[in-house]
Amino acid sequence: MTTDAARRYRSVPGLAELGDGRISYAERSMPLLSALAARFRAERPFDGMIIAACLHVTAETAVLVRALRSGGALVRLAASNPLSTQDDIAAALAAGDGVEVFARAGVDRDTYYEHIALALGVDGAGGAVDADGPDLVLDDGGDLVSTLHTRARPATLDRVRGGCEGTTTGVLRLRRMAADGALAFPVIAASDTPVTRLVDNRHGTAQSVIDGLLRASGVLLAGKTLVVAGFGACGVGIAESARALGARVVITEVDPVRALDAVLRGFLVLPLTDAAPIGEVFITATGSADVITGQHLAVMRDGAILANAGHFDVEIDVRALAALAVGVQSDVRPHADAYELADGRRLLLLAEGRVVNLVAANGHPPEVMDLAFGIEALTLARLARQAERLPAAVHPVPSDIDAEAAEMVLAALGTRTDSLTPAQRSYLASWRIGS
Amino acid sequence: MSAEPYKVADIHLADFGRKEIQLAEHEMPGLMATRAEYAESQPLRGARITGSLHMTIQTAVLIETLVALGAQVRWASCNIFSTQDHAAAAIAVGPDGTPDDPKGIPVFAWKGETLDEYWWCTVQALTWPDGEAPNMILDDGGDATLFVHKGAEYEAAGAVPSPSETDSEEWVVILDKLRDSLADHPGKWTKAVETIKGVTEETTTGVHRLYEMAKAGSLKFPAINVNDSVTKSKFDNKYGCRHSLIDGINRGTDVLIGGKVALVLGYGDVGKGCAESLRGQGARVIVTEIDPICALQAAMDGYQVSTLDDVVGQVDIFVTTTGNKDIIKAADMAKMKHQAIVGNIGHFDNEIDMAGLTATPGIKRVNVKPQVDEWRFPDGHTIIVLSEGRLLNLGNATGHPSFVMSNSFTNQVMAQIEIFTKPEAYPVGVYTLPKHLDEKVARLHLDALGVKLTVLTKDQADYIGVPVEGPYKPDHYRY
Repeated sequence: MTTDAARRYRSVPGLAELGDGRISYAERSMPLLSALAARFRAERPFDGMIIAACLHVTAETAVLVRALRSGGALVRLAASNPLSTQDDIAAALAAGDGVEVFARAGVDRDTYYEHIALALGVDGAGGAVDADGPDLVLDDGGDLVSTLHTRARPATLDRVRGGCEGTTTGVLRLRRMAADGALAFPVIAASDTPVTRLVDNRHGTAQSVIDGLLRASGVLLAGKTLVVAGFGACGVGIAESARALGARVVITEVDPVRALDAVLRGFLVLPLTDAAPIGEVFITATGSADVITGQHLAVMRDGAILANAGHFDVEIDVRALAALAVGVQSDVRPHADAYELADGRRLLLLAEGRVVNLVAANGHPPEVMDLAFGIEALTLARLARQAERLPAAVHPVPSDIDAEAAEMVLAALGTRTDSLTPAQRSYLASWRIGS
Repeated sequence: MSAEPYKVADIHLADFGRKEIQLAEHEMPGLMATRAEYAESQPLRGARITGSLHMTIQTAVLIETLVALGAQVRWASCNIFSTQDHAAAAIAVGPDGTPDDPKGIPVFAWKGETLDEYWWCTVQALTWPDGEAPNMILDDGGDATLFVHKGAEYEAAGAVPSPSETDSEEWVVILDKLRDSLADHPGKWTKAVETIKGVTEETTTGVHRLYEMAKAGSLKFPAINVNDSVTKSKFDNKYGCRHSLIDGINRGTDVLIGGKVALVLGYGDVGKGCAESLRGQGARVIVTEIDPICALQAAMDGYQVSTLDDVVGQVDIFVTTTGNKDIIKAADMAKMKHQAIVGNIGHFDNEIDMAGLTATPGIKRVNVKPQVDEWRFPDGHTIIVLSEGRLLNLGNATGHPSFVMSNSFTNQVMAQIEIFTKPEAYPVGVYTLPKHLDEKVARLHLDALGVKLTVLTKDQADYIGVPVEGPYKPDHYRY
């Protein structure tokens, strides 16, 4: 452990107490991680292991990190977004939990990648600063795994037993790596379980994106025309929430199956070129790039609000917006910048086009993150115990982990469910019995 | 004048009707509680009530409630398509009669009356066996009230005017019927407007007529506007239509509503319920309005608000809910998508211009099944018109569910008791039911839904300045 203390903890000091209180508050809404922390404390699945994590540094993340610590891991944590770090949380983890934290809100791009490198045990220039690289990695968007593959020595890559990726964006990136033959160790796609798709993407994103939109813009949604680009699990949740608040919701899609679902739910589906001149609020939720481009920005209504719910800041072409603008008024409200166009129209960009629910609000509510993180913690414990490394590929979360997580959450909620009778089981297993 | 004791489609449907009436009674707790409350005091003893209201199963429970309170009743439907023939048969037979020995009340109603038959039925309901008129009217849409007033007016004038060329087919029939009446029973309606203590009116359209008459000074007896009881218009109009609109569309067409574009014309209480149910089925709903307040409400509820002209070519399902006339004209229907569905849930059949559609050169009408017609335009495109433009929730389905109608009809019974027992409190004019009765109607329906009401403390009641037992809101409160 050669990393000196000053570099290890790159956070604003003096906030630990505040952060500690908020972590405890989040813990109360995270029964799955609390139960897992107790289990890990007894079983010590990560004893002596190093886990490098690249996550949004929030109170909920801190509860996950604490659970991993309970299992005996040394955790090195970097931020997965330059703007989303909550400094009090970073301070609390560094001060009280023995976590090596490399995160501070509002850092520039170079510092952001330097922090990731430090969490991996390599320095900003690619040299080793630490003899021990991670045994397990936990990523959120793919920046950690990508940096590991481009900067670390082969021995460091060999040491990694496996990883876990929490976002759809990161999984898409990992699949491209695997297709290129570049992926050196197994990664479990934790964003892609039936349970996370339902709870995290659908419900968590829905609530927190609306929260971020409202905090940053203060706009009344009732009566507004709101365009959601992308009708995946996130888009569905955002669209349904916005409609419940009285917005007239327009969907744009590229996938005919998703578009048909939107139409059958009563949404108007339009190409973005047609939606651009009528929308008053735009939310991108595609996971793709170049969704709202200069040609769309050029025809938008005065006062249109732009927000991105996708992981990366590539869905709204912010450069094109800057190029179109004759002036920018920054922070007309916190996390809202007004771009004035030559003809006097003003477009309001929220969170600089970065993921609005994390930048302008507090991300998913703890209950949602509890489930997503619980699945990741269970997955990491499975990887840690695996006698042989899985093939270097993107793997799904084993379905028994998904079911176990759902069961633990239901138990915590006090919800009781039915069980199949033996007769029902044999009926469902048989092809001979009809009516 | 015919002396038929009743006229229904098939008296042998009575058993089926009685079974459905018994099911409905369980879903109409307000009416059943009213029967129990007034079983002893018989407040409607001596009342001779002519009812002109859709002859459905729920109406049967209303009729038998009026009878249980001591009234004599004669009944006609207020729409040529809305009668449920088994309900009419059961009412004619009565709970104690048989089809061979009917002991019920005189009812003149069947599904699919001609306009001539319709007004004949209305006259029968208005004429007691002794040739006399009723002393109370229970009206829905105002047809019985209109007929009596026009009769008195033409008797005073000495003759029924000849129809002009611009008069509707229905108005010509009304004038014919009045001409017969003036010849057979001169002075009958002049006397009737004297003996009739009042009318209780069920719906927006009839209420509108009453206020117009009161304003013009032509109203001859007091009227209670039941429609504007909160427990009527906010429930029947909204929740009833929310239930029965899609029921009618489904039974009539079996088209998948999800994914379709629906246009709701009018965003009053009825339009609000219709829009909500269509959206609930996955339709994308567009609203038209003339009133900026209702239009703003629709926009704030997340609906696109546009004009018929702008969207006529992209809509799959049209529903008129306005209470006004000439909402969808023949020229509009000519521009609709192939197989667009066109229906009306407003009271009268003048929201959709059926006469104009029929008169379109080269148009062809193909009846698909009862109350469903496909109209083929010369260019080959067709539209599907439900219930010939008459209210489709009654024509294609069975109207509002019992529970909703229990609210409306308990208001009707309260209103009948008010006017009949307190004539001095109601000089000629149009009134709404006092707030405490409105609240009573709601209260009578809470137990059935398992609702637990919180009770104000005296201190709390004093703080907001209301009695502990209500009424809780000022008259201008909008709910």
